[in-house]
Amino acid sequence: MAFNILLVDDSLTVRSVIAKALRLAGVDIGQIYEACHGAEALTVLEREWIDLVFADISMPVMDGEEFVDRLAASGAIEHLPVVIVSSAGSGPRIQRLKDKGVRAYVQKPFTPEQIREVVDKVMGVTNHE
Amino acid sequence: MSEDRQQALASTFLHIVEKLTFMFGEPVALDEIELSPEPWVEARMQFEGAVNGSLAVIVPESLQPEIAANILGLEAADLTTPDMLADALREMLNVVCGHVIMTLAGAEADFKLLAPQHQVVPRERLADLLEDADSMGFTLDDEPLLLHLELERG
Repeated sequence: MAFNILLVDDSLTVRSVIAKALRLAGVDIGQIYEACHGAEALTVLEREWIDLVFADISMPVMDGEEFVDRLAASGAIEHLPVVIVSSAGSGPRIQRLKDKGVRAYVQKPFTPEQIREVVDKVMGVTNHE
Repeated sequence: MSEDRQQALASTFLHIVEKLTFMFGEPVALDEIELSPEPWVEARMQFEGAVNGSLAVIVPESLQPEIAANILGLEAADLTTPDMLADALREMLNVVCGHVIMTLAGAEADFKLLAPQHQVVPRERLADLLEDADSMGFTLDDEPLLLHLELERG
């Protein structure tokens, strides 16, 4: 099954690196969508079918925590796996985000293998062809 | 900055930069850093929480394409806009900063990173940074680089 994936980060560099890691890791990608911050991501989610979200914490306009709060308030986070990718992942903050429904946390810098592992885990992929 | 803290920061910085950029670095004394005549640029970001202050990475402008190309896995010639180069340097700082703070305050420390800024460093400021006890010198693939950590004294 191909996944539609939304990358939420204000850095084009990070969005490009995650997209490249997903491809190198052999993740079955349908479409990749991009947003520069949480508010833009919410707009994409209203418009498109998204299977998986990778989001940063520190972003302008709407940061990752507020974005997760919005998804939790609407109940969307129960059905939409959200993975936080950040270098600002202190223990208490990660726990707060997981308590709100975030499925996984990837610390930067990461490898394609780490991205593959987290996709398999949160999407329930059990075998690769 | 104490010698122990400098060593811990240098070790964290080099480990993260090598993992992120696949470029190899080593610490060098500040008086061994040669200020090439070209412009130097810095990416600087504030942080607040368990520790408060700012961290900057300062490099000669000509090092930016190599850093960006290595992070993105592209050829330097494919990086056509200054925005791409600045964004990559800001991202390198962003990743380094998170790890530096955890080196200083521990993995359980709660902190927030503010948006990194990118700018050309005035020549007189560059000379001051080489004299600053909060600066550390490195080479990255044989090119000079400065790390500058300012902590608010609490």
